[in-house]
Amino acid sequence: MGSGLREADGGWHRLCLTRPVMIEPIFQTDTYQLARKLLDVSALRQEAIASNVANAETPGYRRLDVAPAFDQQLKAQMASGTLGTAPTLQPTLAEDSSATSTKPDGNNVEIESELLAMNRNSVDYDYLTQVVSSNLKQLKMAISGNVT
Amino acid sequence: MNLISGVDVTAGALNAQKLRLDIVAQNIANAETTRTAEGGPYQRQVVSFATELVKQQANNGGIPLQTVKVASITSDPTPGQKVYNPQHPDAGADGMVTMPNVNLAFEMVDLITASRAYEANLSVVKNAKQMAEKALEIGH
Amino acid sequence: MTPIGSVNPLSTSPLMRLDAASLSPEVAQPAAAGSASAAVPTDAFSAMLDHLVGDVTAKDAAATAATNQVLMGNSGQLHQSVIAMQEAGVAFSLMVQVRNKLVESYQELMRMQV
Repeated sequence: MGSGLREADGGWHRLCLTRPVMIEPIFQTDTYQLARKLLDVSALRQEAIASNVANAETPGYRRLDVAPAFDQQLKAQMASGTLGTAPTLQPTLAEDSSATSTKPDGNNVEIESELLAMNRNSVDYDYLTQVVSSNLKQLKMAISGNVT
Repeated sequence: MNLISGVDVTAGALNAQKLRLDIVAQNIANAETTRTAEGGPYQRQVVSFATELVKQQANNGGIPLQTVKVASITSDPTPGQKVYNPQHPDAGADGMVTMPNVNLAFEMVDLITASRAYEANLSVVKNAKQMAEKALEIGH
Repeated sequence: MTPIGSVNPLSTSPLMRLDAASLSPEVAQPAAAGSASAAVPTDAFSAMLDHLVGDVTAKDAAATAATNQVLMGNSGQLHQSVIAMQEAGVAFSLMVQVRNKLVESYQELMRMQV
Protein backbone atom coordinates (compact mmCIF):
# COMPACT_ATOMS: atom_id res chain seq x y z
CA MET A 1 0.00 0.00 0.00
CA GLY A 2 2.88 2.29 0.66
CA SER A 3 4.26 1.82 -2.83
CA GLY A 4 2.88 3.89 -5.64
CA LEU A 5 2.04 6.91 -3.50
CA ARG A 6 3.10 10.23 -4.91
CA GLU A 7 2.84 13.72 -3.52
CA ALA A 8 0.66 14.80 -6.39
CA ASP A 9 -2.11 12.35 -5.57
CA GLY A 10 -5.09 14.67 -5.07
CA GLY A 11 -3.56 16.32 -2.04
CA TRP A 12 -3.92 13.36 0.25
CA HIS A 13 -1.70 13.89 3.22
CA ARG A 14 0.96 11.22 3.27
CA LEU A 15 0.53 10.58 6.94
CA CYS A 16 -3.17 9.95 6.61
CA LEU A 17 -2.46 7.21 4.16
CA THR A 18 0.51 5.50 5.75
CA ARG A 19 -0.13 6.06 9.42
CA PRO A 20 -1.78 3.02 10.98
CA VAL A 21 -3.31 4.88 13.90
CA MET A 22 -5.68 7.71 13.22
CA ILE A 23 -7.82 8.37 16.22
CA GLU A 24 -5.37 7.77 19.04
CA PRO A 25 -3.40 11.01 18.52
CA ILE A 26 -6.36 13.23 19.31
CA PHE A 27 -6.32 11.83 22.84
CA GLN A 28 -2.59 12.18 23.28
CA THR A 29 -2.30 15.72 24.62
CA ASP A 30 -0.15 15.87 27.72
CA THR A 31 -2.78 17.63 29.78
CA TYR A 32 -5.40 15.01 29.10
CA GLN A 33 -3.15 12.03 29.74
CA LEU A 34 -1.71 13.63 32.86
CA ALA A 35 -5.18 14.32 34.19
CA ARG A 36 -6.15 10.69 33.63
CA LYS A 37 -3.15 9.41 35.54
CA LEU A 38 -3.69 11.87 38.36
CA LEU A 39 -7.29 10.71 38.64
CA ASP A 40 -5.91 7.26 39.45
CA VAL A 41 -3.74 8.81 42.15
CA SER A 42 -6.62 10.75 43.62
CA ALA A 43 -8.90 7.72 43.74
CA LEU A 44 -6.18 5.67 45.41
CA ARG A 45 -5.53 8.43 47.92
CA GLN A 46 -9.20 8.40 48.89
CA GLU A 47 -8.91 4.69 49.66
CA ALA A 48 -5.78 5.31 51.71
CA ILE A 49 -7.57 7.99 53.72
CA ALA A 50 -10.51 5.62 54.29
CA SER A 51 -8.09 3.03 55.65
CA ASN A 52 -6.37 5.62 57.87
CA VAL A 53 -9.60 6.96 59.35
CA ALA A 54 -10.91 3.44 59.93
CA ASN A 55 -7.74 2.47 61.80
CA ALA A 56 -7.32 5.73 63.69
CA GLU A 57 -7.27 3.86 66.99
CA THR A 58 -5.81 0.52 66.08
CA PRO A 59 -2.59 -0.05 68.00
CA GLY A 60 0.51 -0.19 65.85
CA TYR A 61 -1.17 0.99 62.66
CA ARG A 62 0.95 3.28 60.45
CA ARG A 63 -0.57 5.83 58.15
CA LEU A 64 -0.84 4.92 54.44
CA ASP A 65 -0.55 7.21 51.45
CA VAL A 66 0.26 7.02 47.73
CA ALA A 67 3.91 6.05 47.24
CA PRO A 68 5.97 9.21 46.52
CA ALA A 69 8.03 7.34 43.91
CA PHE A 70 5.06 7.55 41.55
CA ASP A 71 5.37 11.35 41.32
CA GLN A 72 8.96 11.14 40.16
CA GLN A 73 8.19 8.42 37.65
CA LEU A 74 5.34 10.51 36.27
CA LYS A 75 7.57 13.57 35.92
CA ALA A 76 10.22 11.50 34.18
CA GLN A 77 7.64 10.20 31.74
CA MET A 78 6.39 13.69 31.03
CA ALA A 79 9.89 14.98 30.43
CA SER A 80 10.64 12.17 28.03
CA GLY A 81 7.33 12.66 26.26
CA THR A 82 6.15 9.08 26.59
CA LEU A 83 3.14 9.86 28.75
CA GLY A 84 0.52 8.48 26.44
CA THR A 85 2.39 5.61 24.90
CA ALA A 86 4.47 4.29 27.75
CA PRO A 87 3.55 1.06 29.53
CA THR A 88 0.92 1.83 32.09
CA LEU A 89 2.23 3.37 35.26
CA GLN A 90 0.04 2.72 38.28
CA PRO A 91 0.24 4.39 41.67
CA THR A 92 0.63 2.15 44.71
CA LEU A 93 0.03 2.51 48.41
CA ALA A 94 2.90 2.71 50.84
CA GLU A 95 3.45 3.63 54.46
CA ASP A 96 3.83 7.36 54.85
CA SER A 97 7.38 7.79 56.11
CA SER A 98 6.98 11.51 56.77
CA ALA A 99 4.30 11.06 59.43
CA THR A 100 5.43 11.28 63.03
CA SER A 101 4.38 8.82 65.65
CA THR A 102 1.98 10.49 68.02
CA LYS A 103 0.58 7.84 70.29
CA PRO A 104 2.32 5.46 72.64
CA ASP A 105 0.74 2.41 71.00
CA GLY A 106 2.52 3.19 67.71
CA ASN A 107 -0.50 4.57 65.87
CA ASN A 108 0.36 7.74 63.94
CA VAL A 109 -3.02 8.71 62.51
CA GLU A 110 -4.64 12.05 63.36
CA ILE A 111 -8.26 12.14 62.36
CA GLU A 112 -8.31 15.91 61.76
CA SER A 113 -5.43 15.87 59.33
CA GLU A 114 -6.96 12.89 57.55
CA LEU A 115 -10.22 14.77 57.09
CA LEU A 116 -8.37 17.84 55.83
CA ALA A 117 -6.43 15.68 53.38
CA MET A 118 -9.72 14.16 52.26
CA ASN A 119 -11.23 17.56 51.52
CA ARG A 120 -8.17 18.59 49.54
CA ASN A 121 -8.20 15.32 47.64
CA SER A 122 -11.88 15.77 46.85
CA VAL A 123 -11.26 19.17 45.28
CA ASP A 124 -8.33 17.73 43.32
CA TYR A 125 -10.57 14.99 41.99
CA ASP A 126 -13.26 17.49 40.98
CA TYR A 127 -10.70 19.61 39.19
CA LEU A 128 -9.24 16.63 37.32
CA THR A 129 -12.66 15.43 36.20
CA GLN A 130 -13.29 18.98 34.94
CA VAL A 131 -10.06 18.91 32.92
CA VAL A 132 -10.88 15.54 31.37
CA SER A 133 -14.49 16.54 30.79
CA SER A 134 -13.70 19.79 29.03
CA ASN A 135 -11.16 18.04 26.79
CA LEU A 136 -13.76 15.48 25.77
CA LYS A 137 -16.44 18.12 25.26
CA GLN A 138 -14.11 20.14 23.03
CA LEU A 139 -13.43 17.08 20.91
CA LYS A 140 -17.13 16.39 20.61
CA MET A 141 -17.80 19.99 19.61
CA ALA A 142 -15.04 19.90 17.01
CA ILE A 143 -16.34 16.67 15.53
CA SER A 144 -19.99 17.49 15.40
CA GLY A 145 -19.63 21.16 14.56
CA ASN A 146 -22.29 22.07 17.09
CA VAL A 147 -21.29 24.45 19.82
CA THR A 148 -23.57 23.02 22.54
CA MET B 1 -19.24 -3.96 41.77
CA ASN B 2 -17.04 -1.69 43.78
CA LEU B 3 -18.10 1.73 42.61
CA ILE B 4 -17.55 3.66 45.84
CA SER B 5 -13.89 3.39 46.71
CA GLY B 6 -12.94 2.16 50.15
CA VAL B 7 -16.48 1.28 51.14
CA ASP B 8 -15.47 -2.11 52.57
CA VAL B 9 -12.90 -0.45 54.75
CA THR B 10 -15.35 2.11 56.07
CA ALA B 11 -18.07 -0.49 56.61
CA GLY B 12 -15.75 -2.48 58.87
CA ALA B 13 -14.87 0.65 60.81
CA LEU B 14 -18.51 1.66 61.25
CA ASN B 15 -19.33 -1.80 62.59
CA ALA B 16 -16.41 -1.72 64.99
CA GLN B 17 -17.26 1.73 66.33
CA LYS B 18 -20.91 0.78 66.69
CA LEU B 19 -19.95 -2.27 68.72
CA ARG B 20 -17.69 -0.13 70.87
CA LEU B 21 -20.56 2.29 71.50
CA ASP B 22 -22.77 -0.62 72.48
CA ILE B 23 -20.21 -1.83 75.01
CA VAL B 24 -19.80 1.65 76.46
CA ALA B 25 -23.57 1.94 76.79
CA GLN B 26 -23.60 -1.42 78.53
CA ASN B 27 -20.90 -0.28 80.93
CA ILE B 28 -22.75 2.88 81.78
CA ALA B 29 -26.01 1.04 82.26
CA ASN B 30 -24.34 -1.39 84.66
CA ALA B 31 -22.41 1.21 86.64
CA GLU B 32 -24.21 0.22 89.82
CA THR B 33 -24.78 -3.49 89.23
CA THR B 34 -23.38 -5.28 92.26
CA ARG B 35 -24.82 -8.70 91.49
CA THR B 36 -24.19 -10.63 88.27
CA ALA B 37 -24.72 -14.23 87.16
CA GLU B 38 -21.08 -14.98 88.03
CA GLY B 39 -21.68 -13.76 91.56
CA GLY B 40 -19.48 -10.71 91.81
CA PRO B 41 -20.12 -7.11 90.82
CA TYR B 42 -20.26 -6.13 87.16
CA GLN B 43 -16.80 -5.93 85.57
CA ARG B 44 -16.29 -3.27 82.96
CA GLN B 45 -15.98 -4.58 79.39
CA VAL B 46 -13.17 -3.31 77.18
CA VAL B 47 -13.01 -3.49 73.43
CA SER B 48 -9.75 -3.94 71.56
CA PHE B 49 -9.27 -3.22 67.85
CA ALA B 50 -7.15 -5.00 65.29
CA THR B 51 -6.62 -4.54 61.59
CA GLU B 52 -8.19 -6.91 59.13
CA LEU B 53 -7.20 -7.26 55.49
CA VAL B 54 -9.89 -6.21 53.08
CA LYS B 55 -10.58 -8.74 50.35
CA GLN B 56 -9.93 -6.50 47.43
CA GLN B 57 -8.62 -6.16 43.94
CA ALA B 58 -4.96 -6.36 43.05
CA ASN B 59 -3.04 -3.40 44.31
CA ASN B 60 -0.07 -3.56 41.92
CA GLY B 61 2.25 -4.76 44.66
CA GLY B 62 1.56 -1.98 47.11
CA ILE B 63 0.36 -2.38 50.66
CA PRO B 64 -3.18 -3.81 50.76
CA LEU B 65 -5.99 -1.86 52.35
CA GLN B 66 -6.87 -2.75 55.91
CA THR B 67 -10.05 -2.26 57.78
CA VAL B 68 -10.57 -2.53 61.52
CA LYS B 69 -12.44 -5.15 63.47
CA VAL B 70 -13.08 -5.76 67.13
CA ALA B 71 -10.47 -8.32 68.12
CA SER B 72 -11.87 -9.11 71.52
CA ILE B 73 -14.20 -7.92 74.22
CA THR B 74 -12.51 -8.57 77.53
CA SER B 75 -13.36 -7.79 81.09
CA ASP B 76 -11.33 -5.25 82.91
CA PRO B 77 -9.95 -7.24 85.87
CA THR B 78 -9.15 -4.27 88.15
CA PRO B 79 -11.25 -4.57 91.26
CA GLY B 80 -13.90 -1.97 91.84
CA GLN B 81 -14.16 0.42 94.72
CA LYS B 82 -15.32 -0.85 98.04
CA VAL B 83 -17.98 1.33 99.58
CA TYR B 84 -19.19 1.17 103.14
CA ASN B 85 -22.94 0.58 102.96
CA PRO B 86 -24.25 -1.96 105.52
CA GLN B 87 -27.87 -1.51 104.36
CA HIS B 88 -27.02 -2.69 100.86
CA PRO B 89 -28.41 -6.17 100.13
CA ASP B 90 -25.01 -7.24 98.76
CA ALA B 91 -22.98 -5.90 101.63
CA GLY B 92 -20.42 -8.27 103.05
CA ALA B 93 -19.96 -9.12 106.72
CA ASP B 94 -17.92 -5.95 107.22
CA GLY B 95 -20.60 -3.78 105.59
CA MET B 96 -18.48 -3.13 102.50
CA VAL B 97 -20.00 -3.40 99.05
CA THR B 98 -17.75 -3.91 96.04
CA MET B 99 -19.03 -1.59 93.31
CA PRO B 100 -18.40 -2.21 89.63
CA ASN B 101 -15.12 -0.78 88.32
CA VAL B 102 -16.97 1.51 85.91
CA ASN B 103 -15.70 5.08 85.98
CA LEU B 104 -18.37 7.26 84.42
CA ALA B 105 -15.90 9.95 83.34
CA PHE B 106 -13.83 7.44 81.38
CA GLU B 107 -16.93 5.93 79.83
CA MET B 108 -18.23 9.34 78.69
CA VAL B 109 -14.88 10.14 77.07
CA ASP B 110 -14.99 6.75 75.35
CA LEU B 111 -18.52 7.49 74.19
CA ILE B 112 -17.52 10.80 72.67
CA THR B 113 -14.43 9.34 71.00
CA ALA B 114 -16.43 6.48 69.52
CA SER B 115 -19.10 8.87 68.23
CA ARG B 116 -16.52 11.13 66.65
CA ALA B 117 -14.80 8.20 64.99
CA TYR B 118 -18.16 6.97 63.71
CA GLU B 119 -18.96 10.38 62.23
CA ALA B 120 -15.51 10.67 60.67
CA ASN B 121 -15.98 7.34 58.92
CA LEU B 122 -19.43 8.43 57.74
CA SER B 123 -17.99 11.58 56.19
CA VAL B 124 -15.31 9.49 54.47
CA VAL B 125 -17.88 7.30 52.78
CA LYS B 126 -20.03 10.30 51.88
CA ASN B 127 -17.03 11.92 50.26
CA ALA B 128 -16.23 8.75 48.32
CA LYS B 129 -19.80 8.67 47.04
CA GLN B 130 -19.56 12.29 45.90
CA MET B 131 -16.34 11.52 44.06
CA ALA B 132 -18.00 8.62 42.27
CA GLU B 133 -20.90 10.86 41.24
CA LYS B 134 -18.46 13.43 39.89
CA ALA B 135 -16.74 10.71 37.88
CA LEU B 136 -20.05 9.69 36.34
CA GLU B 137 -20.52 13.22 35.05
CA ILE B 138 -17.33 13.18 32.97
CA GLY B 139 -18.06 14.27 29.43
CA HIS B 140 -21.46 15.78 30.19
CA MET C 1 -7.55 16.31 11.31
CA THR C 2 -10.00 15.23 8.68
CA PRO C 3 -8.34 14.55 5.34
CA ILE C 4 -11.57 15.22 3.47
CA GLY C 5 -10.88 18.91 3.38
CA SER C 6 -7.69 18.40 1.46
CA VAL C 7 -9.43 16.78 -1.49
CA ASN C 8 -10.20 19.19 -4.25
CA PRO C 9 -13.26 17.69 -5.94
CA LEU C 10 -12.73 19.72 -9.08
CA SER C 11 -9.25 18.47 -9.82
CA THR C 12 -9.14 16.10 -12.72
CA SER C 13 -7.10 13.32 -11.24
CA PRO C 14 -9.63 12.17 -8.59
CA LEU C 15 -12.46 12.52 -11.15
CA MET C 16 -10.70 10.25 -13.56
CA ARG C 17 -10.14 7.66 -10.87
CA LEU C 18 -13.68 7.58 -9.59
CA ASP C 19 -14.99 5.16 -12.16
CA ALA C 20 -16.78 1.93 -11.39
CA ALA C 21 -13.71 -0.23 -11.78
CA SER C 22 -11.61 1.51 -9.18
CA LEU C 23 -14.52 1.80 -6.75
CA SER C 24 -14.29 -1.90 -6.04
CA PRO C 25 -13.56 -2.47 -2.35
CA GLU C 26 -10.88 -5.02 -3.11
CA VAL C 27 -7.42 -3.58 -2.75
CA ALA C 28 -5.83 -4.32 -6.12
CA GLN C 29 -2.10 -4.54 -6.22
CA PRO C 30 -0.88 -2.30 -9.05
CA ALA C 31 0.72 -4.49 -11.71
CA ALA C 32 2.42 -1.65 -13.58
CA ALA C 33 3.30 1.98 -12.93
CA GLY C 34 0.52 3.12 -15.26
CA SER C 35 -2.22 1.38 -13.38
CA ALA C 36 -0.63 2.22 -10.06
CA SER C 37 -2.03 5.73 -10.01
CA ALA C 38 -5.47 4.41 -10.92
CA ALA C 39 -5.53 1.94 -8.01
CA VAL C 40 -3.94 4.21 -5.39
CA PRO C 41 -6.84 6.48 -4.32
CA THR C 42 -9.20 3.56 -3.87
CA ASP C 43 -6.35 2.02 -1.99
CA ALA C 44 -6.06 5.21 0.00
CA PHE C 45 -9.77 5.48 0.67
CA SER C 46 -10.32 1.92 1.76
CA ALA C 47 -7.07 1.81 3.65
CA MET C 48 -7.96 4.98 5.47
CA LEU C 49 -11.41 3.74 6.28
CA ASP C 50 -9.96 0.44 7.43
CA HIS C 51 -7.64 2.27 9.77
CA LEU C 52 -10.47 4.38 11.07
CA VAL C 53 -12.66 1.39 11.75
CA GLY C 54 -9.75 -0.45 13.32
CA ASP C 55 -9.08 2.45 15.67
CA VAL C 56 -12.71 2.74 16.65
CA THR C 57 -12.85 -0.99 17.33
CA ALA C 58 -9.72 -0.74 19.45
CA LYS C 59 -11.17 2.12 21.49
CA ASP C 60 -14.40 0.20 21.90
CA ALA C 61 -12.49 -2.89 23.05
CA ALA C 62 -10.60 -0.80 25.61
CA ALA C 63 -13.86 0.63 26.89
CA THR C 64 -15.43 -2.82 27.16
CA ALA C 65 -12.38 -4.15 28.99
CA ALA C 66 -12.38 -1.31 31.49
CA THR C 67 -16.14 -1.60 32.05
CA ASN C 68 -15.92 -5.36 32.52
CA GLN C 69 -13.22 -4.87 35.12
CA VAL C 70 -15.54 -2.62 37.08
CA LEU C 71 -18.59 -4.85 36.62
CA MET C 72 -16.71 -7.93 37.77
CA GLY C 73 -15.49 -6.11 40.83
CA ASN C 74 -11.82 -6.52 39.86
CA SER C 75 -11.22 -2.81 39.77
CA GLY C 76 -12.77 0.06 41.64
CA GLN C 77 -11.63 2.60 39.05
CA LEU C 78 -14.96 3.90 37.94
CA HIS C 79 -13.45 6.99 36.34
CA GLN C 80 -11.32 4.98 33.91
CA SER C 81 -14.36 3.09 32.72
CA VAL C 82 -16.34 6.31 32.23
CA ILE C 83 -13.46 7.99 30.39
CA ALA C 84 -12.90 4.96 28.16
CA MET C 85 -16.59 4.88 27.24
CA GLN C 86 -16.54 8.59 26.43
CA GLU C 87 -13.44 8.15 24.26
CA ALA C 88 -15.07 5.30 22.41
CA GLY C 89 -18.09 7.52 21.82
CA VAL C 90 -15.93 10.34 20.50
CA ALA C 91 -14.05 7.97 18.18
CA PHE C 92 -17.30 6.56 16.92
CA SER C 93 -18.84 9.94 16.21
CA LEU C 94 -15.64 10.96 14.40
CA MET C 95 -16.02 7.92 12.19
CA VAL C 96 -19.68 8.67 11.56
CA GLN C 97 -18.88 12.27 10.60
CA VAL C 98 -16.09 11.12 8.26
CA ARG C 99 -18.54 8.74 6.61
CA ASN C 100 -21.12 11.49 6.27
CA LYS C 101 -18.63 13.82 4.65
CA LEU C 102 -17.45 11.09 2.30
CA VAL C 103 -21.00 10.34 1.23
CA GLU C 104 -21.69 14.06 0.78
CA SER C 105 -18.58 14.53 -1.38
CA TYR C 106 -19.43 11.49 -3.44
CA GLN C 107 -22.96 12.72 -4.03
CA GLU C 108 -21.72 16.17 -4.94
CA LEU C 109 -19.27 14.66 -7.41
CA MET C 110 -21.97 12.50 -8.97
CA ARG C 111 -24.22 15.56 -9.32
CA MET C 112 -21.63 17.30 -11.45
CA GLN C 113 -22.43 17.56 -15.06
CA VAL C 114 -19.70 16.28 -17.24
